[in-house]
Amino acid sequence: MSFLVAAALGVGLFVAIPIAAHLLRRGRARERDFPPTALVPAARSVARERATLEDRLLLAIRALLIACLAVIGATPFVQCSRLSLNRSAGASVAFALVVDDSHSMRALGTDGVRFERALRAARELLASAREGDAIAIVLAGKPARLALAATTDLNAARRALSDLGESDRSTDLEAAVSLARTSIASLPHHDKRVVLLSDLAAGALSDGAEGQAPLWAPVPELATPLENCAIFGAERRGRRIAAHVACTSPAAAAGRAVSLVGDKSGKPVPLASRGGIQELGLDFEPKLERPELELNGGDALKGDDRCPLAAESAALGVMVAADVSNASAKTGGPPVLEQAVAALESSAALHPIALLPDDANEYRNNALLLLDDPGGITPEARSALVSFVERGGVAVAFLGPRVEQTPLGATLEPFVHGAVHWEAKAIGELNQASLAWLGPEASSVRDLKLAGRAGLSTSDLFGARVLATFADGQPFLTERELGRGALFTVALPTSVEHGNFPLRPAFLALLDHFLDEARDHRGATQSVAGGEWTFPLGASIAIDGPRGPLAVHERARAAGGSALKAATPTLTGRYTVRIDDKAEERVVTVDPGEITTLPQKVPESAAQKRASAHAGSVDASPELGFVALALLALELGLRVFRRVTRERALSDTKTAHHPAL
Amino acid sequence: MTEPARALRKALDWGKLAPLRLRAKTVADGVYAGGHRSRRRGAGIEFGGQRSYVPGDDLRFIDRHALLRHGTLLVRQFETETDRTLCLLVDASLSMSYRSEQAPGPKYAYAALIAAALCKIAVGAGDRVSLDWFGGERTVELATAGGREAFERVVGALETAQPSADLKSDLPALERAVARVERRAGRGSTVVVLSDLLDLPEGAEAAIGTLGVRGKTLTVARVLDPSEVTFPFTGPLHLRALEGDTRVETDAAAARPQYLAALEAEASRWSARLLSRGGSLILLDSADDPVKAVRKILDSVGGLA
Repeated sequence: MSFLVAAALGVGLFVAIPIAAHLLRRGRARERDFPPTALVPAARSVARERATLEDRLLLAIRALLIACLAVIGATPFVQCSRLSLNRSAGASVAFALVVDDSHSMRALGTDGVRFERALRAARELLASAREGDAIAIVLAGKPARLALAATTDLNAARRALSDLGESDRSTDLEAAVSLARTSIASLPHHDKRVVLLSDLAAGALSDGAEGQAPLWAPVPELATPLENCAIFGAERRGRRIAAHVACTSPAAAAGRAVSLVGDKSGKPVPLASRGGIQELGLDFEPKLERPELELNGGDALKGDDRCPLAAESAALGVMVAADVSNASAKTGGPPVLEQAVAALESSAALHPIALLPDDANEYRNNALLLLDDPGGITPEARSALVSFVERGGVAVAFLGPRVEQTPLGATLEPFVHGAVHWEAKAIGELNQASLAWLGPEASSVRDLKLAGRAGLSTSDLFGARVLATFADGQPFLTERELGRGALFTVALPTSVEHGNFPLRPAFLALLDHFLDEARDHRGATQSVAGGEWTFPLGASIAIDGPRGPLAVHERARAAGGSALKAATPTLTGRYTVRIDDKAEERVVTVDPGEITTLPQKVPESAAQKRASAHAGSVDASPELGFVALALLALELGLRVFRRVTRERALSDTKTAHHPAL
Repeated sequence: MTEPARALRKALDWGKLAPLRLRAKTVADGVYAGGHRSRRRGAGIEFGGQRSYVPGDDLRFIDRHALLRHGTLLVRQFETETDRTLCLLVDASLSMSYRSEQAPGPKYAYAALIAAALCKIAVGAGDRVSLDWFGGERTVELATAGGREAFERVVGALETAQPSADLKSDLPALERAVARVERRAGRGSTVVVLSDLLDLPEGAEAAIGTLGVRGKTLTVARVLDPSEVTFPFTGPLHLRALEGDTRVETDAAAARPQYLAALEAEASRWSARLLSRGGSLILLDSADDPVKAVRKILDSVGGLA
């Protein structure tokens, strides 16, 4: 504490002055001449007591006023528990606020709802920012988003902050931190920071490489572990209900049970006293409308204790037409295609078929058709297939040697127009660059041993897009949109006899892409908050969610091509989606990782930054100035009020006792 | 003279009030300019109306014209202008020098102004005026006299006097003053006493009350300071009387109702005593308009036609 601070605070000692004056005034009555003294009754003790009572309010106001002035004098040196930016050498600061808007931030923490606490902290930091400071705002709900690009416009930052709202998204903190660092990397500020306003319920965070903006978690109480259980999925399976429950710990699960809301005859099914994910089975009551499951008891997050029941067709229906004799693995079992789908989507409902259905109704409850080495498609089957795709289905044809064995009247339409030749010769590997959109798995297509390929020519593709090619430029994978669905054509079969491509990770990545496409086109009846729903560009879409209509926007496809419509439900609950006047219900649930992932410790370096920042001083002059003015006004008002009251009383007295005057 | 008394005498700012004669004239002009008429009718110059004849009336005043014209007996009446002596008795005791923050001046200054104005009115009407005191220093008693010179002398005496003297236990001094007034005032005279009626000795009511007998009209104007009327103080008080040794420590809010009640009771007592002697009591506030105060006195005296 410097001399100035001591001197300023020393002014506070003058608080004793009004107290001393009050005591002196209280102790001695004023002596005055008054001719009719003989008519005045004596009341000594009462006089002193009344003096004490009457002046107490004024005394308090004056003492507070002096104390306030003393603190104002010392304000530049006074510390406050409010968050503020600690500046090195007083220079401007560039900081990126990473605000976690994931589901776990909706929990009730030690200082209120975590998300509200994070917003409050962000506002406090913004309040301590000055002209020249650059601010970026990044949201850590999956996917990580940039809410405000780095700007020195503090008002814009405040507006952006006020627009933020809570959601039930998953946490994508690592990507958010990366995005935050990137957003302020190019700024000229010397002092850069990434401020984490998160419960840190995500994977481990690195402090970044040398030269990157350091992390700072100024509100460590956000990462306090909480007890919570949530129903993250409930789907009907015949006359039974499968409920998926996640708990943070055995203590959170102890004594709790799941029940069907409104089903008085059904008994609650207790949870096992363990943390993590568990699946429970309940009886379904068909009389209930819009059934929901409920978790009894209470925890830190009440909102996820209730979950709508998804329709029976929640599981992704996948039809697989593969020849067991050709497309199976040498170790036996189902065809490779079926095994791969089962490995990728455990909840998928696999329907192996020997022949393509002639009736479109047989495609009902299915979203994806995987057709291995088709030997031609009859007109009836083609018609049903086209109908299935046009209604939002996804069909994939893995072309093999049988493309040359199509019987009379059968073609490969609608996948390929015209005759396709099987090129049974040594084929070079796939063009790895054209498969880059598959991700890291694309590198696994090196050194493939292929026995042949279907020779696709551009003229046979009905205007389909080529998504990947062989090394020689021949199409390997094409996509063609048909109605609300899509048709994919792969120039290789899934049989291991014709090459080792099905044994490579890229094959699984490709199948996963088809499953994603099927989900996107068909629209899974149960999805995770923050996951995007896509629709054909020409379709008329209207979505009603738990909090009213959900906005639908247009965007370009990730892999290029035409645009599509998309909507992102961010809150859990039941949604009604109208596609061209055809309504369907979808249920959005929370990612179980939001429940089971416990908050990690604040990185050590971030904690150190926090300590130094808390030592920062806050200029509270404006607030204290207002308080001082208010006190002054209060004293003046009180004095005027008393004076008016006294004069009115005296006037009444004069009239009452001396009407002759 | 005690130290507080000296301090209070300095508060008597004649400079602010002076010239008293000008203010007295202004007040008198504001009240009424002109003479007053006697209520006695009989021999006189100005015709005062007619009334029916009753046996015993002087036959010289029978209206012959009315008898010849109407055949009824009527008696002609005439008004007689009379001079009425105004006897002023002014309290110049130390308590009259009191002045609070609410008052424009001490009570004595207000009483002096009222007295001078009454004098001016009386002199203007042709009446004669006398001036007597109880208490005070450098007081000059003035015998009954009339005319402009009498007014100047009264004003001079009022300006010269200084409030002083503790009459709390000096009843003989008061009785001497009353006796002087009694000697000067004959039947039909008007006696106006200007006092705060505070700190007067026991028996003062009876002594002053004697001025209302034997055909005299007595009006006692009680001049009080605004603070004495309303008791506007707050908080703890240590009060000291100007005459006597009375000291009281009290709380203003607690004492106010009792004080006002006592003041009212005292006024009622004085009023009852004066009423029994044909006199009347008027309460005046030294912060009030002196014109209204003089009008009150004249209304009480019945001097205005």
